Order: sequence, then C-alpha cells, then structure tokens
Amino acid sequence: MNDVMDTLAGLQPGSPLFDLRRQRPDVVKHLQGSNSAIFSPQDDGGLTRAERAAAALRVATLLRDDALAEHYRIQLAALDLTGTLAGTIEGTARMTEPRWDAILAHVDLVTRGPGSAEHKDIDNLLAAGLSSHAVVSLSQIVAYVNFQSRVLAGLRALKGGA
Amino acid sequence: MRDFTHGELDWRPWLAPLDLNTATEQQLVALKVTPSNRTVGAYSLVLAHDPEALAERSPLYNGIMFGPRGLPRADRELGAVAASRINGCAYCASVHALRFTQLTKEPEVMERIQRDGIDAALDPRRKAVLDYAAKLTRDPVAIGPADASPLRAQGLSDLEILDLTHAVAMFAWANRLMQTLGEPAAPARKGNPL
Repeated sequence: MNDVMDTLAGLQPGSPLFDLRRQRPDVVKHLQGSNSAIFSPQDDGGLTRAERAAAALRVATLLRDDALAEHYRIQLAALDLTGTLAGTIEGTARMTEPRWDAILAHVDLVTRGPGSAEHKDIDNLLAAGLSSHAVVSLSQIVAYVNFQSRVLAGLRALKGGA
Repeated sequence: MRDFTHGELDWRPWLAPLDLNTATEQQLVALKVTPSNRTVGAYSLVLAHDPEALAERSPLYNGIMFGPRGLPRADRELGAVAASRINGCAYCASVHALRFTQLTKEPEVMERIQRDGIDAALDPRRKAVLDYAAKLTRDPVAIGPADASPLRAQGLSDLEILDLTHAVAMFAWANRLMQTLGEPAAPARKGNPL
C-alpha cells in the first residue's frame, strides 16, 4: 500500500526527505496505520467511509489546504457516487438531514475553535443519533486531518534542502 | 493560567467512558489493559470507543514524543506547550510545561512563557523553536521552505526539524480531542476523600 504522506508530499523512494522520514520508522508505520483506522476501519461505528472522507474534506477546506482537500475530494468521489455528500461540502447542494448538519457543525467547531467546545456539543451529536463510537471517530477524523496538514507543512519546509 | 499537574486523572469526560467490565478484547488490547494493570484514565476510556484509531494513535504519540536521538525531548515538550497555549488548552499546556521543566531543570523558561506568552524573550535557539511551533499551529498552509531557515541557523538538523514538526502536529491532534470530548476538572485535594 502506498504511504499517504509520501504521496501527498510528493516524496519518491530514495529521495532525501523520503529517507529522512524512515529515520522515524514508528512514526511512518503508525501514521499510516492511523490513516487506515480512521478512513477504512473494520467497524465504522455507524459513521460511513463516505461520511469520514466528507468530514475530512471539510477540515482541509477550512484549513485552505488545497493539496489535502484534493486528496479527500478524490477519496470521497469514489465512495459517494451520487455526489450528495460532496455537494454539502463544496456548497453546490444542500441536504436537510439533522444528523449530517450536526456532524458538519461539529467538524467546524473542532477545527476552528476547539477551546470553545462545550458539553452540549457532544450531547447534540448523541441526540442526532450518533453512537459513542461515531462521536469518537468523528473527533479523531477532525483532529487527525489537522495533524496531517501540519506534518505536510513541515515536509514542505524541509523540501528546500539544507 | 491554572496549574494542572496531575495528567489525565483530572479530566472530566462529556461522553460516558467505556466500562472495562463490558469492553471487547479489541478495546482491552487498544488500552493495553492486562489482569495486573486495570488503571486506565477517563480520557483513554473515552477514546476506546473507537479501538482501531486508539490502537494506532498511542504508539504514534509515543514514537513522536519519546523516539530516540534527534530533537531533545525538552524541545518536543516546548513545541507541545506552544501548540497547546495557542489552541487554548491550558490543561495540556500546563502538563507539558511541567515535563519541560522536569527535563531541563530550568523553571524560569516556563515562568517566562507563562508571564509573557509565546512571544516571551528566550535564548535564540528556543525562540526559533517557539516561533516555528506557533506559525505551524496557527496557519500550516503559510509554512514554506523559508520557515526551516531560522531553525537551521540555530543548528537544528533536518531530523530535529522533522521531530519538532511531528510534536507540534501531534498537539494539533491531542488538544482537539482533549478539549472537545471533555474538560479539565479541579484536581482533588490531598486528604480529601471526595
């Protein structure tokens, strides 16, 4: 399987930055493992793979991270064949479904203002029908894409060479 | 800023934590619960609702914060403090400020950051680390090749810059979980049975 961070950062095997990442084998292994666990879990807890990709696309869009947004746009297109979820992120379509509205509101909150989150924000997700598993998965998705954007930024900083 | 020093024991979840008595084998493995070790904090018990993500995230966190060689551990903690302060996680900032001070035996550094914020006057090397951590936390898209130069000028190797990047990025992750799945609770006073 291709390593998602190498692909996103455009790192070819044998390049200095590819080799630099291999000096942290545990990080490479478990970053890829986290990516798989978050986007293609064995048990999705009721939050589908398409919804996971759509939530990630929303985070990347809020961060204005174009490369990451394109990655999730492609991932979502393969899972959301009607384009319904993609439309709610890209602003071309509306979906009046309380559960999805609650999910998107939470994605925005956790990305932009995690410090202003309150107990009721979790209650809203549960009231919208999410399981405890799905609430934690959604939180992991948003937090992970925020992490991912910053790792990519650091690789960009290093790409200039010494 | 309040001085939280007791780690995850002082964190109050907004989502019912997993009950170990009804946990699946997969959840117990993700939590590293064994018959001789059933002491798991509320934060981990909440994350265990998604055992697949937890099972990968824990070794990733450890690899980033405790991996051998490369950036000194204290500088990784400095990156964690900068990210946590900017993200508004006073609890996380306080825990990692304490770890920094334990590692360096230089309490004046965190006292200064506590007083003056992340623009505090520090020695040039730590200032470069803090500035990079702040920019990476605030606006990752704005980061480019020029941002590695001040770190290289202070003698950081590419591996050290990668390590710092990983630490700061990990707190973009950790702060968001800790702040949105629960809140810090006042530490129990010693001798208070409640």
